[in-house]
Amino acid sequence: MEEMVIETHPTDVSGSATQPGVADAWETVSAALVSAECVVSEQSLSDSLALLCSQGLSQLLGSWLLETLQMRLSSSVVPEFWAGLNQPENELEEKGRAWVLLTAFRTLLHRLEPFLGGLDRLGLWQNEGRGDLCGPGPKGLQDRAFTIIRALLLFSPSPVLQERVLEFYSRTFSVYMNQEGEAEDGAEVPDGPEGGVCPGCGVLTQQCWCQEALEQLQELSHILSKLQLLEWVSSEAVTSILHKLIEQRMEQHCRGEYERSFLLEFQKWLEMVLGWLSKVFASEVHTDSLAPAPSAPSPSGVQAGQSASSVLKQWRCHMHQFFCRIYVNMRIEELFSIIRDFPESKAAIEDLKFCLERTNQRQQLLTSLKSAFESRLLHPGVHTSDILTVYISAIKALRELDPSMVILQVACQPIRKYLRTREDTVRQIVAGLTGDAEGCTDLASELSRGDPVTLEMQDSDEEGNDPEDWTPDPTDAVPDKMGSKHRSSDIISLLVSIYGSKDIFIDEYRAVLADRLLHQLNYNTAREIRNVELLKLRFGESHMHYCEVMLKDMADSRRINSNIREEESRLSEEEQPPLSLSAIILSSEFWPPLKEEKLELPPLVCQAMEAYTHRYEKLKAMRTLSWKLHLGSVTLDVELEDRTLTNLTVSPIHAAIILHFQEKSSWTLEELSMKLGAPKELVHRKLALWQQHGVLREEAGGRYYVVETGSSKEKMERGAMLIDSDEERDSNTTTQSEQREEKLQLFWAYIQAMLTNLDSMTLERIHSMLRMFVATGPVVTEMDVNELEAFLQRKVREHQLLVSAGVYRLPKSN
Amino acid sequence: MASQNMDPAATAASSTAALKGSENGSSAARGSVSKRLQQELMTLMMSGDKGISAFPESDNLFKWIGTIDGAQGTVYEGLRYRLSLEFPAGYPYQAPRVKFVTPCFHPNVDEQGFICLDILKDKWSALYDVRSILLSVQSLLGEPNNESPLNTAAAELWDNQEAFKSHLHSTFQK
Repeated sequence: MEEMVIETHPTDVSGSATQPGVADAWETVSAALVSAECVVSEQSLSDSLALLCSQGLSQLLGSWLLETLQMRLSSSVVPEFWAGLNQPENELEEKGRAWVLLTAFRTLLHRLEPFLGGLDRLGLWQNEGRGDLCGPGPKGLQDRAFTIIRALLLFSPSPVLQERVLEFYSRTFSVYMNQEGEAEDGAEVPDGPEGGVCPGCGVLTQQCWCQEALEQLQELSHILSKLQLLEWVSSEAVTSILHKLIEQRMEQHCRGEYERSFLLEFQKWLEMVLGWLSKVFASEVHTDSLAPAPSAPSPSGVQAGQSASSVLKQWRCHMHQFFCRIYVNMRIEELFSIIRDFPESKAAIEDLKFCLERTNQRQQLLTSLKSAFESRLLHPGVHTSDILTVYISAIKALRELDPSMVILQVACQPIRKYLRTREDTVRQIVAGLTGDAEGCTDLASELSRGDPVTLEMQDSDEEGNDPEDWTPDPTDAVPDKMGSKHRSSDIISLLVSIYGSKDIFIDEYRAVLADRLLHQLNYNTAREIRNVELLKLRFGESHMHYCEVMLKDMADSRRINSNIREEESRLSEEEQPPLSLSAIILSSEFWPPLKEEKLELPPLVCQAMEAYTHRYEKLKAMRTLSWKLHLGSVTLDVELEDRTLTNLTVSPIHAAIILHFQEKSSWTLEELSMKLGAPKELVHRKLALWQQHGVLREEAGGRYYVVETGSSKEKMERGAMLIDSDEERDSNTTTQSEQREEKLQLFWAYIQAMLTNLDSMTLERIHSMLRMFVATGPVVTEMDVNELEAFLQRKVREHQLLVSAGVYRLPKSN
Repeated sequence: MASQNMDPAATAASSTAALKGSENGSSAARGSVSKRLQQELMTLMMSGDKGISAFPESDNLFKWIGTIDGAQGTVYEGLRYRLSLEFPAGYPYQAPRVKFVTPCFHPNVDEQGFICLDILKDKWSALYDVRSILLSVQSLLGEPNNESPLNTAAAELWDNQEAFKSHLHSTFQK
């Protein structure tokens, strides 16, 4: 369009050249438009204008003016601007570079000002409708002019402009922040010995140009906004400065610091930054109020003010968003450490929660946290109890971070999976629950915190009874059959559910409980009763039934024991039993399987036991006792010729060994082993205790002698050093792996029987048969298909089983 | 040990699972019967007796397949016999129906595989179980009751152990 008009222009002029008045009038008007000050009188201008209008040329004025501007720009102004910017001689110092930048823009403005003024005037004429001029008005004309300026000036900007602008803005930023910051807190001053370098402009204090820089900033903003180049020239620089500075500040202040909330602090800081931004962007307001704008003041002034404040608003949003994003990025990176430090790092979690809600980075958080867990936690070098501790922290931290528990559920999946592969997980958890674990006391306190009401709430179906309160799951939730209301955040339920069933834990607890009770021997069960009661709240009465019976056994034993004692005390002097025996009476059905160890006790002890049994049978009709000889403890005195060892508490086998030496002072290992009905290795190990006490000594030929006299101190010490005592506290109950072996044995019997009678079967059939026919109980739990397959493959490798085409059969000859 | 510590609730649950598919009629009675059968299966598995074995044929706990190896030192040594055991709803108060599936040349076993054994008939008692039945049948192989033979030819041949054995092995088919 414009193009066309411009081309017709010269013909028009030549056509009207016949009238000299027209040419003069054009001259007058164009001079009035282009030159800064009005040289011609108002009257002659109006006349000329009227003449032009009458010739129909007035419509061309606008196009002509823009054309002239474009020509001027491309021929001289733009090259001059770029040349002005590249002044190597002035670029040595930052201050100089700033001056060059400013000067370049000053010149630019100076060169363009006449045109802008002319456009303004023409626009005004158009508005006034002088000499029936009509057109887009000053706004429209200026918009066109600015478009041309932008197009020509920034068509191929040299990087030096960006560099300069960036540098200049950074400088003014630091100057501004320094000035503002001084008012607020002295800590803002970075480094710089007093009297040395100005913290604002970074040069010697004597040469400080802080004030100058701010004034230059003001002027530059002024020029840019006048030319409407502000957004184009500054935005990029400002954005990158802000990003860099927020990042920097965050690195300095927040990294590794989890115990403080940074949101408010940053909010304040960002407000300060906004002050600087307003200096960069808001100068339009000043322009209008300061510059002697010829006319049309208020409407455009208000508009500019509004646009400035809306620009600032945009920048505030942008900064805030950017802050959140950077903060979330950093915290995501650090999340593992934050979790590890929880609850000290609660502030960081809360900050993160706030920011995470404003950015869309949940997925990133999940991925990063998962991989952090995998690389830092879930490898063989980490102790199970440490994994559990971190898992517990994670539960606490992540339920704070995401009340919907989705993050918790998803991110901790690898931990749960990994824990399942650790053999001691259950034992550690149970130890934690009972407060036996060294490190983690969390679980015990969690257990005692157990508030039955809230627990019931979790189980009941009526939970979330107010439909108004319902909120949909976040989109990254794992769809599972449980639904959100069952996504528990309860630490104990989460731990217990690692294995999918409470039974394993209850069995393990039973084993631990049995151990504790059997090692105590003083019937004191207060603490265990408390634990069982607490666990009952968690797992329900029925599951803890066995444990209750075990505790009741202890109480009953104490009563029965005192009954029997009483009875014994009524006996006459010679009928008194030779040794005092007290028993813990276990209801074998309810206790976990106890280790079997063969042991024959000396007749003296057996008699006492028989007597005890006899009394018990009288007390409890139809019942009898079956003794577990290897369990228990014996307190005894050893009297030797020259010394007495008193109040030694040893295990029954130790006591039995030393008792045999009462009748005969020297035994060989074989003899003892035969007498005790125990394997030689075991006896050998147990003898060590007495050697250590200096009561026995081993001589050549594997004979053991009583050391009746002259046990010198040093000899004892030497013994103590040489012989490693075997007094580690063995567990009396069968271990998990033993139980597992037992379970596999049972399954193998079933599988063999199946294949004997039904010839050949597929894996699935075997599995379903086992599920149907093996009665599961505390010891025998179900086996999943994969476990079964692995087991069958093992049997195949051991040639106890054949497999072909997925069908298993027993080998022919058996 | 394991069997004694068995959780009654768990057993009940799994035995009802075992009953699925064959559930019809007096479920309570069948429930207790299948519980007993499951217990017997467990006992049999745990006993580890050589030469006898049995297992439910499919998911029906009331129909079992049994396997008996001829006892050492008898003419039946080296031979393996399949049996079928069917338990009535009145078990263990009624005897199970036991018969040979593998044809068995024996004085007390007829051509259809029916067995003439007192404890499977009038001498049955609820105290017997699958294991004792299988052991009885196994010992019957070596010690037939020739007073009341079902297979007279076998009874007559019995006295000549050599001939009996060669006939037995020549006619044995799986």
